[in-house]
Amino acid sequence: MQFTIEVGRYNPEGRYADNAIPGEPFPPPWDRSPARRYQTYTVDLPEHAVVLDALIEIREYQDQSLAVRCACRSAICGSCAMWINGHANLACKSKLQEFTKNGKTRVESPPSMPVIRDLVCDMAPFWQKHLAVKPWLQNKQPVPPPDEEYRVPNAAMEELIQEVSCISCGACLMDCESFAVNSEFLGPQALAQAYRYTGDPRDAETKERLGQYSEAGGIWDCTHCYECVTQCPKGVAPLDQILKLRKLAVDAGFTNNPGTRHADAFAESVRDSGRLNELTLLPKSIGYFNFVEQLKVLPSAFNMLRAGKLPPLIHHKIPGFKRIKAIFERVGGRFK
Amino acid sequence: MTRDHDVLVLGAGLAGMRAALEAARGGADVAIVTKVHPIRSHSSAAQGGINAAISEEDSWESHAFDTVKGSDYLADQDAVEIMAQEAPADIIEFEHMGVIFFRGPDGKLGKRAFGGASLARTYFVGDITGQALLVTLYDQILRAGVKVYEEWFATKLFMENGACRGLVALEMITGELHLLRAKAVVVASGGLGRLYEPSTNALICTGDGYSLAYRAGAPLMDMEMVQYHPTTLAGSGFLMTEAARGEGAYLLNSEGERFMKRYAPNKMELAARDVTSRAEATEIAEGRGIDGNVLLDLRHLGPDVILKKLPQIHEMALDYLDIDMIKEPVPVRPGMHYQMGGIKTDVEGATSVPGIYAAGEVACVSVHGGNRLGANSLLDTIVFGRRSGRASAEYAKRTPASTGGEDLLAAEQARLQELLERPYTGDTPAGLRLELATMMDEKVGLYRNEAGLREALAAVKEYNERYERIAVGDKGRVFNQALEFVLELGYMLDCGEAIIRAALERKESRGAHTHTEHPERNDEDWLKHIVLTLRGNREPEVSHVPVTITRWKPEVRTY
Amino acid sequence: MKVAFFPGCVSKGACPELYVSATAVAEPLGLELHELESAPCCGAGVLSEQNPELGDALNALMLAMAEAEGADLMTICSTCQGVLSNHNHQLQKDPARMDRANATIADQGYRYGGTTKVKHLLWMLFEDIGIDRVAAAIRRKLTGLKIAPFYGCYILRPVEALGLREKPERKTYLERLITLLGAEPVEYRGSTKCCGFPMLTFNRDKALAMGGNHIIEAKEKGADLLVTPCPLCHLNLDGQQPDAARVLNQEIDVPIFHLPQLLGLAFGFEPDQLRLNHHVVSTKGALEKVELKV
Repeated sequence: MQFTIEVGRYNPEGRYADNAIPGEPFPPPWDRSPARRYQTYTVDLPEHAVVLDALIEIREYQDQSLAVRCACRSAICGSCAMWINGHANLACKSKLQEFTKNGKTRVESPPSMPVIRDLVCDMAPFWQKHLAVKPWLQNKQPVPPPDEEYRVPNAAMEELIQEVSCISCGACLMDCESFAVNSEFLGPQALAQAYRYTGDPRDAETKERLGQYSEAGGIWDCTHCYECVTQCPKGVAPLDQILKLRKLAVDAGFTNNPGTRHADAFAESVRDSGRLNELTLLPKSIGYFNFVEQLKVLPSAFNMLRAGKLPPLIHHKIPGFKRIKAIFERVGGRFK
Repeated sequence: MTRDHDVLVLGAGLAGMRAALEAARGGADVAIVTKVHPIRSHSSAAQGGINAAISEEDSWESHAFDTVKGSDYLADQDAVEIMAQEAPADIIEFEHMGVIFFRGPDGKLGKRAFGGASLARTYFVGDITGQALLVTLYDQILRAGVKVYEEWFATKLFMENGACRGLVALEMITGELHLLRAKAVVVASGGLGRLYEPSTNALICTGDGYSLAYRAGAPLMDMEMVQYHPTTLAGSGFLMTEAARGEGAYLLNSEGERFMKRYAPNKMELAARDVTSRAEATEIAEGRGIDGNVLLDLRHLGPDVILKKLPQIHEMALDYLDIDMIKEPVPVRPGMHYQMGGIKTDVEGATSVPGIYAAGEVACVSVHGGNRLGANSLLDTIVFGRRSGRASAEYAKRTPASTGGEDLLAAEQARLQELLERPYTGDTPAGLRLELATMMDEKVGLYRNEAGLREALAAVKEYNERYERIAVGDKGRVFNQALEFVLELGYMLDCGEAIIRAALERKESRGAHTHTEHPERNDEDWLKHIVLTLRGNREPEVSHVPVTITRWKPEVRTY
Repeated sequence: MKVAFFPGCVSKGACPELYVSATAVAEPLGLELHELESAPCCGAGVLSEQNPELGDALNALMLAMAEAEGADLMTICSTCQGVLSNHNHQLQKDPARMDRANATIADQGYRYGGTTKVKHLLWMLFEDIGIDRVAAAIRRKLTGLKIAPFYGCYILRPVEALGLREKPERKTYLERLITLLGAEPVEYRGSTKCCGFPMLTFNRDKALAMGGNHIIEAKEKGADLLVTPCPLCHLNLDGQQPDAARVLNQEIDVPIFHLPQLLGLAFGFEPDQLRLNHHVVSTKGALEKVELKV
């Protein structure tokens, strides 16, 4: 079967083939990532072939100058995450047929990472974040003697295989919306690994970890968009792990942050009226006494007021609102 | 640029990182040189588990015996004893580091059955055991602050007065060539699967370390022993872990028969890999295959076992064959998987060349002999990785630093420049590699014969001549993978020739080496290792080394 | 067609124009809205995150109310859609969870049997009302307008809970609708991305940059306006747009329409009937392109 591949080329030495056509700049916030030149190749491959098969075919028999990282070809080594039609995917797991759009498949290194050459990007930001979460067991004492393992339930280990399945391909970070605007954000992979150790019954530093992850750049800087869950090729579902960390952090008492205040204010209004009260949500989340931040939101509030877009000053309760309070009480736990 | 360390480790898979960690613990200034990021190493592809006699009903002697029997009595029993004895503590150490080994109902390490073992002693993390060990070890390396020269490609070992004093490496991201000096080099660069087509191995398994050490004078041993794994996925050739059969999967022929009952009536599907692979090949040759494959049937295991304990292979069969193993059997065939032979070392990882150590698949201690048991390769990497790390650090303490090597760096620079300037001859590195690898599979694969091996040797000679003229299809500096690939092809050619020469030498059938004109094992003449040594540019010297036998006399091998 | 209608907190709060326009277009679409007036907030994921059982109970209550109406539950908010779909998916798949939720709401006289289908108005247009009926209701083609779709995360992800594995075409409805209404859809990367609203209270400037970047991208591709099925996206993209422009140090000035407002315009309603004069970013320029005034 014939497939057409449009490859985003980048060469820091300026070596390009004549048929490499300059592309448009990337949309913001990546407009400073160098624009790629796109070179089109045609490959003849079996119908089930994946994008990586095409790239290898090109590199081996059509154009040896194409740079692409790959090793296992079977979604284990994590080398070949790249943008395929504008989203980060493993090239070895993406079927060409599925990813053929308007007769072609476009591949390029993601503009969210620094580019080195062609499909090879600099993964340093990714690894720095990984390192930042202290991705190693901080052993619970006493460590068993050298001929004895920690005794833990199998379920506790099986639960963590979801995070251990991470192959560090970086697809989640490449497509992370928060990371796109906030380079300080630890990102989905690192935070999933953070949960992997926080959730390990053999780790002693649970509380310290939760404190660290609650700081700026941590769990509360995730925008909850599920891109990472969608793009992860191994089912790690990083957002789910971030949400687990948020819950653990709040339960452990790390509540002095806008994220927790936001949840509390939200819960309070739903509990007492059945509905969200947007009027008090923002100031409560920011903290009533955080004057600097309060001032920041004033212009927007004024704009909305002027447009008639502010919620009614007197918050209406839903009919039968007492029922909701009763449910809150019956469930118990946080927000009761 | 030139840099100095006490110990350099070439390769960042399990053996390499374990060696580096141990050398660092021993106080050495250690650095890892690796052509890919450590996490990309092929150790991550080991699925099923790692062996150790931990449980009360087990004993290290039993593990050692199974290993010796599995090796078809070619393994050195002193080395096997060490591996079996030290296995439990090494595995527990990884557990303490954080590996999420699955547990039994009592919360202690859980185990599964594996081929060639007299009882279940394989410890595991789902079917991603290698990956689980690798990420844990990588994080330990980070924690210990070990320097990693990441995406640096070794082009030559630096030899001075008969001793190895470092290496020259190409930094991929800049295209710059560096001299890295050290008092000792631990070669832990993994296998050579790309020399065979098809193979379960990653594209990075190109035999670099075998060739680098061999050319520096370190002997290679047992190179004829190339393992074919019984269950590699039809088409792509990806590995379907032995753990599938460990959990109870069947092998079926086209008549729906569990044919292993005719080849290994006791162990059935859990016979040693060489036995099972040959059984499959026989079924296929006698017309009971299905398009050159047999079937791996997991259906009776049920979705729970498959999804919890074998999720990765379930996904791979879905991804690459559109087959859901919960509902359908999976077509598999024997495929090249592992090199038992390698750089000859003692039990401390030392070679006969001062300053060169080796561990992992690239090394040959020899604990696998003629045939490696499943789940012994991960064990080999961590036991002998640790030992070579310790020994190399100790050696470094008593060895003065070198100040030379600049001339070697210049010579290497000139060599690479010459490569880059070569005109195109009509040969592509990929085309030549494919010819070589297809030929190896055909003539130096599961079955071998004298004529075929002679043809193979002649073919490699011809490939080598073409290789001497081959051009690099990319002239740039930054991330020039075409250049890297040409250098890798050179390593593969060296490995191929060594395998063929060793196979020609062994006039019997033992383990993975099946010589159709000498179909029986012949202990009288061939209970010995074949060793190849390169001296200068002449043909290698072939010698024999007796097998170390401590307590298990060779017996007839049945399963 | 009868539907159980959950307008969501925001359409009753900071986006009254959404409620007004949604109820206005119901008639031409043949929708008989039975508003679940005593249904609680879905929790917007915020409550479920910290207290999953509470999220189950509140959403089970709402699903039970719709079940009692004997009709599909229609939302007009991507976030409500996502949260309700997610809980519905989890409850249907896990009987133990369903039992727990039912035990909680039993005191209030409700029981959820697991049969309710939750559908955003956008989905109903294509899957229930039928595109022919929508076409028949058009009185004013929006020819000449270039419109950038902005879906909002929770109507797209996670894919399993939202039925996008079975119905991947749900990812294309906005573009198809824009074409049907006579306008031209703008293709741009931001259409399926996050508006930043969930971070607005935690990390304001980054949230504003996130949304602002998408609008700028659409504008650079020629968009006259963005249309969204999510009022939370609207809050960020319209309500905070002047602030986003300040953070990004760039003029933006692109109006953001709610999905029912766009439908309403095409169905012949006047802009003020749809409260298009009550936006932070003026809709004037876009409306003038179809010869309308606010």
